[in-house]
Amino acid sequence: MSEFEKLKVVTKYELLKQIRRKRFYGALALTVLAMLLTIGLYQGLDLPRRMGLPDTLISQYRVEIFAIFTTSMGALAILGAVFFSGDAIASEFEHKTGYTLFLNPVKRTTIVVGKYLACFIATAAILIIAYLISAGALLAFYGTVPVGGMLGSLAIALVLACFVISMAFAFSSVLKGGMGATIATLLTYMVIFSVISMSLSYAGYNPWFMPDRAGDAMTATYGVSFESVFGGMMGGGHAITGMARASQDPALSFFVLLVYAIILFGLSIWLANRKEMI
Amino acid sequence: MPDSILVKGLTRYYNGFLALDNLSLRVKWNEDVALLGPNGAGKTTTLKILCGLMRPSKGAAYLAGINVMEERERAISQVGAILETPEFYPFLTPNETLRYLGRLRGMSGRELDNRIGEVLKLVRLGEWAKIKIEKFSRGMKQRLALAQAMLHDPPILILDEPSLGLDPRGMMEMREILIEARKKKTVFFASHLLTEVEQICKKVAIIDRGKLRAYDDIARLKKKYRSFERAYLKLTEASI
Repeated sequence: MSEFEKLKVVTKYELLKQIRRKRFYGALALTVLAMLLTIGLYQGLDLPRRMGLPDTLISQYRVEIFAIFTTSMGALAILGAVFFSGDAIASEFEHKTGYTLFLNPVKRTTIVVGKYLACFIATAAILIIAYLISAGALLAFYGTVPVGGMLGSLAIALVLACFVISMAFAFSSVLKGGMGATIATLLTYMVIFSVISMSLSYAGYNPWFMPDRAGDAMTATYGVSFESVFGGMMGGGHAITGMARASQDPALSFFVLLVYAIILFGLSIWLANRKEMI
Repeated sequence: MPDSILVKGLTRYYNGFLALDNLSLRVKWNEDVALLGPNGAGKTTTLKILCGLMRPSKGAAYLAGINVMEERERAISQVGAILETPEFYPFLTPNETLRYLGRLRGMSGRELDNRIGEVLKLVRLGEWAKIKIEKFSRGMKQRLALAQAMLHDPPILILDEPSLGLDPRGMMEMREILIEARKKKTVFFASHLLTEVEQICKKVAIIDRGKLRAYDDIARLKKKYRSFERAYLKLTEASI
């Protein structure tokens, strides 16, 4: 049996585990609820006008502005990825299931890659469903969908998910518990990266190389600048001048996230291979 | 023909603590050998190194002549093992668990289906095949552990305290399964239960503080020390 065949088996059963754990359905329910709330509040409160966006901007980009709001999936990509992957490796040691799994003639690398693919598929399914809901709402309200912009946004959301899964795997390979790895991933992304990015922005640097800022590029694929929409929300954009200038290039951001994802995933494989069942 | 199990000068430190001290051991094909010793003697460490879950600080381990450190996957395919107190994914059923493990061991189709039925019947879990493992008791998980160890009909069984958590009936059944298995397989198991060792094996390796103190037939040790219990106590008195 080839290692590729074994990879398919690991991926299939890891996916089955994700589904059986009910986490998948929990994440799915939260996603649908978040999407419906976003769409309902956007329409019900007439958000673009209340934000003080110019009428010309609203009439010219009403579809894109709606899409930007409803596909700002950064949080979904991060939470979904962490939700599924935080304990992927650590739990095999913590709950001793590794004494059954690692006693098979399968390379540890194959197991890690299979787990990674299963986490990615679960996260991607959640993200795709969210984008489909957004596309459905766009069709219902405006009769059109900015396909190119949405696909670009989805691509960045998916590569952001890859990056977060890689980071969670790296923590999961080092730390003893799954909960620790989950919290460490969330804190690193939401606190450490944010502090660095904000500081660089205020100092006048463009933190294009920071993963959190690269992830923001999922709102920059619709041809409407980030600052023209979100600047209005913050007092004409003056309060976030530094951030607003840092509206990210989608293609560059995609590759930034991809490079981080590959490096961290490689690191997690190396760490998982060295970890012993003591 | 290479030995079934060969351990050469195994040494292992845990943060400076010497758990295995130049341990060497040879188990021939179809031999049944118990690794006996007090708690912390190095039994589980030896088995973990044999199964490729840990690396030795020095020395080498071979299964069917294959170096475990150099060709872990090929070596481990010769083995069915129970280590520590094995746990399973609680949200899967025994059927799904065994199917997963069987597929990883290169089994598939009807052959796998039939074998799953056989081993579940053997460990008396047939009626629980489709029940999630989260509902299982400690003893039932131990039975399932034996089922997965026997699943691919490996020539070598490596078992760490196989009757741990079993009730008296379960212990007796486990013993019968191992006695039957040893007719065709090498059975190498760790225990600190003298009666269990005596009933299952003919040969015993007594280790203490990571060192091999004796490796002989139980009958010969009994003769030399007047009883198996005395032999054990005498050979492991360094621990007292």
